Amino acid sequence: MGEDKKEKRYKTGLLRSLWPYNFNAERYSYTLHRITGVILALYLIAHVFEIYHFALGPVAWEQTIALLGSLGIWEKIGLWIIAGSALYHGANGLRLILNEVFGMLLGKPVLPEYPYTPTSLSRNQKIAIYVILAIVIALWIWAGLYLLEGLGII
Amino acid sequence: MRKDIGMETLDYDVAIVGSGLAGLRTAIEVLRRDKGKLGLKVAVISKIYLMRSHSVSAEGGTSAVLYPEEGDSFELMAWDTIKGSDFLADQDAVWRFVHIATQEIRLIERWGVPWNRREDGRIEQRWFGGLSFPRATYAQDKTGFFEMRALYDTLLKYDNWDRFDENFVTSIVIENNEFKGFTAIDLKTGNFRYFRAKAGVIATGGAGQLYRITSMAVSSTGDGYGLAYNAGLPLKDMEFVQFHPTGLVPRGILITEAARGEGAYLINKDGERFMQKYAPSKMELAPRDIVSRAIMKEIMEGKGIYDEKSGLYHVWLDMRHLGKERIEQKLPFIREIGLKYLGIDIVDQPLPIRPTVHYNMGGIHVDIDGKVLDSTGTPVKGLWAAGEAACVSIQGSNRLGSNGTNECLVYGYIVGNDIYNYIEKERPALPSPSQNILTTEEDRIFGKLLGKESGGEDVYEIRDELKDTMEKYVHVYRTGSDLEKAVVKIRELKERYKNIRLTDKSRVFNYNLEHALELGNMLELAEIIARGALLRTESRGAHARLDYPNRDDTNWLKHTIALKGADGPLFSYIPVKITMWKPVARVY
Amino acid sequence: MKVRIRRYDGQKEWWQDYEVDVKSSDTVLDVLNKIREKQDHTLAFRLSCQMGSCGSCGMVINGLPALACQTRISELKTDSIRIEPLYNYKVIKDLVVDLNEFVNKHRSVKPWIIRKNPEELEEAPIEFKVTPEQNLTFVQFDYCIMCGICLAACPTVAIDPLFLGPQALGQAYRYIADPRDEGFEERIDILDDSHGVWRCHFAGACSYVCPKGVDPAKAIQFLKKEILKYRLLHKKKAATKPAELVEKAPPPNAPKPPPFDFKFEGGV
Repeated sequence: MGEDKKEKRYKTGLLRSLWPYNFNAERYSYTLHRITGVILALYLIAHVFEIYHFALGPVAWEQTIALLGSLGIWEKIGLWIIAGSALYHGANGLRLILNEVFGMLLGKPVLPEYPYTPTSLSRNQKIAIYVILAIVIALWIWAGLYLLEGLGII
Repeated sequence: MRKDIGMETLDYDVAIVGSGLAGLRTAIEVLRRDKGKLGLKVAVISKIYLMRSHSVSAEGGTSAVLYPEEGDSFELMAWDTIKGSDFLADQDAVWRFVHIATQEIRLIERWGVPWNRREDGRIEQRWFGGLSFPRATYAQDKTGFFEMRALYDTLLKYDNWDRFDENFVTSIVIENNEFKGFTAIDLKTGNFRYFRAKAGVIATGGAGQLYRITSMAVSSTGDGYGLAYNAGLPLKDMEFVQFHPTGLVPRGILITEAARGEGAYLINKDGERFMQKYAPSKMELAPRDIVSRAIMKEIMEGKGIYDEKSGLYHVWLDMRHLGKERIEQKLPFIREIGLKYLGIDIVDQPLPIRPTVHYNMGGIHVDIDGKVLDSTGTPVKGLWAAGEAACVSIQGSNRLGSNGTNECLVYGYIVGNDIYNYIEKERPALPSPSQNILTTEEDRIFGKLLGKESGGEDVYEIRDELKDTMEKYVHVYRTGSDLEKAVVKIRELKERYKNIRLTDKSRVFNYNLEHALELGNMLELAEIIARGALLRTESRGAHARLDYPNRDDTNWLKHTIALKGADGPLFSYIPVKITMWKPVARVY
Repeated sequence: MKVRIRRYDGQKEWWQDYEVDVKSSDTVLDVLNKIREKQDHTLAFRLSCQMGSCGSCGMVINGLPALACQTRISELKTDSIRIEPLYNYKVIKDLVVDLNEFVNKHRSVKPWIIRKNPEELEEAPIEFKVTPEQNLTFVQFDYCIMCGICLAACPTVAIDPLFLGPQALGQAYRYIADPRDEGFEERIDILDDSHGVWRCHFAGACSYVCPKGVDPAKAIQFLKKEILKYRLLHKKKAATKPAELVEKAPPPNAPKPPPFDFKFEGGV
């Protein structure tokens, strides 16, 4: 009934799916997970490209290193963002594996009690998210300091 | 002629109007019996989406004899039902009903209903009002909802049916005492549809929306009654409107009888369990009509509590002594309702309650097989009715709590089987009605109602006045003078209804049009109820007259039959089938 | 109170503002009813039971999908309300959205009890035995009222309209977890699909907005676990067998109705 007519869906699409405003912490972490995932994917492509130049011989490799070096501080900032993405994506990925493969942190099926608080979004889940965030941020700051040290600023 | 209108004809073997428990059960039964043998095609037509029907709000339980080894028996259930009905029930129908209920409970158990269980895994049952044995089978306090889930999901298993969600049926096409289909508006497009079918079922439920304070859904506007009545078919016992004792103030949201089944108290202003005055042995577990009258009496005697926000008087329903664990296990939805709508936690506070409209005992006049009867008592060929829309009559003048959902299931089963047998045996052809019936109906809706530019009456104003009238004059306690006032007011509203004008002229989802058509049915029903109640000069079951406080078996042990006349309903009476027990005084 | 509603009449979309008198105990649905009855008869929205058990009135209220009938004005803690149709759905008129796809998704996961021997569903001497503990494993997911709100909250549905969605997947798990059901193998190919469970990345928004506490996100993660267990270890849950009827005599002190007044043939 009416399938042939092209009807517009209301407020849908990629940007909507990444817009967690008003929703729960898990959906924020979902958005972050997706964005960091895309950053890592882009980095991997660039990285493969870089390695490819190494295979082409010393001259090409020198040129690539020079190109990266010409980015100056931006190279370090890029690396820092990539490090952060990898840290978050990895740590949050571990949480998701616990959830999805082992069914952990979800609680058991229960008789819902009003006001409904889903056990899958329970305290354990929130603690896991905040612990991950804390560790990731700490490591990320450390990585930033390490990069700054490499620049000789500290 | 308007260009945008095209009448669509849809051919089916069986067309079912209404998608509640009775409608779904009928559809499943036809398809289950058929298993592709005759290749019957079934249409399920509903004015809302399937699974939104009001059956989902049934809370307490479904009676059936499951444990004869523990002392229950069919005779006992039949006796409870007949005594509860104040002896207006047809006893042959009750006898059949109690036997089929058991098999239905077990059948839907296999289709997935998560009944509450005993420790050994068997189905648990609990007390309900007016029962002599705890035989209300339950799934927490969402019994109707889980039954609907199981039936709906099971129906999805079958292929040979189509769903017509949001199709508002406007008339039954009957010619020469033969059913020829339904006409309907497809709300999604606004198109006019004709469902041509060999067999039709009306399972549209009740008409609680006639009242202001009701536990019934906005969709329960008694369309099925109106359809049958306007098609010249008789309605039976419409003056018996059940008031559920415990409706949440101010909205009338249902607080299930199971709360009292689990042991809740009814308490008045003085903190007294007043039911000991009215039903000393059963106390809070007396049948609904008795408890409703007791609450109204307390309120009339000034022992009610005044609620300032809503301006209503109420009494308390106290569940504090049940304990949190028991409430969570058995009455979670009641706790949710209390918290959600009043911010009251039943674990440590009582709920304010007063009687709320809950059920129509009366309905379309049908025989013991669910076949719709015409004014002479002969079955209309090819038309059935089931559930609350029909009046067999099993419920008599007062339905026992937990006997509603199983009537839907049992009659779904009986009607489904009967339809299958009819089609298998008689092999009827698709009917061909005269075209002008359909065009007249189309013109009535789209030309005379939607297209009308004159008049200035507003649908919603008339509806509000109707609700207030019914609430004020045709309530738990009725008197001759009140009922006369109600009849006068309803007739005035009927006159004004002729002058309504719709502001929404669109075709797609024109709820204004739907509400106007519903209101037409509601006005007719209100008149039947008020006038039927005025004529019945006795008090029986849910019909309580202050000016005639006693039951009168010599003159009034009979069913009321209302037929559409030129100027309002015409009343006649038929005898009650008494095959087992003679009426005795009804004491609890 | 100012109420801002997203309108659509088949051609154009617009925001319309209404000014309504409200009581603190009113729900959003009461407000909508007041608008439709007193101010604007053309406003279209669905409603039925008004007590949060039918699932008709799902809509987006102040940016969060919810049932209008159980959202009280006092809970919103704002002085204006913004009401929109459910996200991710096709709008037909005003707040009425097309639920056909949603309903078909539910049907596609075979949400009914499947037995290897279908006769066991028809013939019923007594019920299957299900202990209260077994009941608890699936009854939460049976709370689903099919309002469709979870699909409006789900970020995956926003990018993949064919994704089965939390409702259908939750219901698949409800039947798989049911000890009476033997249909796991029949359902697994539907679920283990590119639009099936693996599109779920556990944003949990479905559980967050669910008005009945069904927690579909939990069901989907359990479903993933069950599928992995079956694919990798070839393990699945065992279903119960139909119980046997044990005939017993009634107790001597059983309550009895009065004797029949008429000679009764007892036909059913």
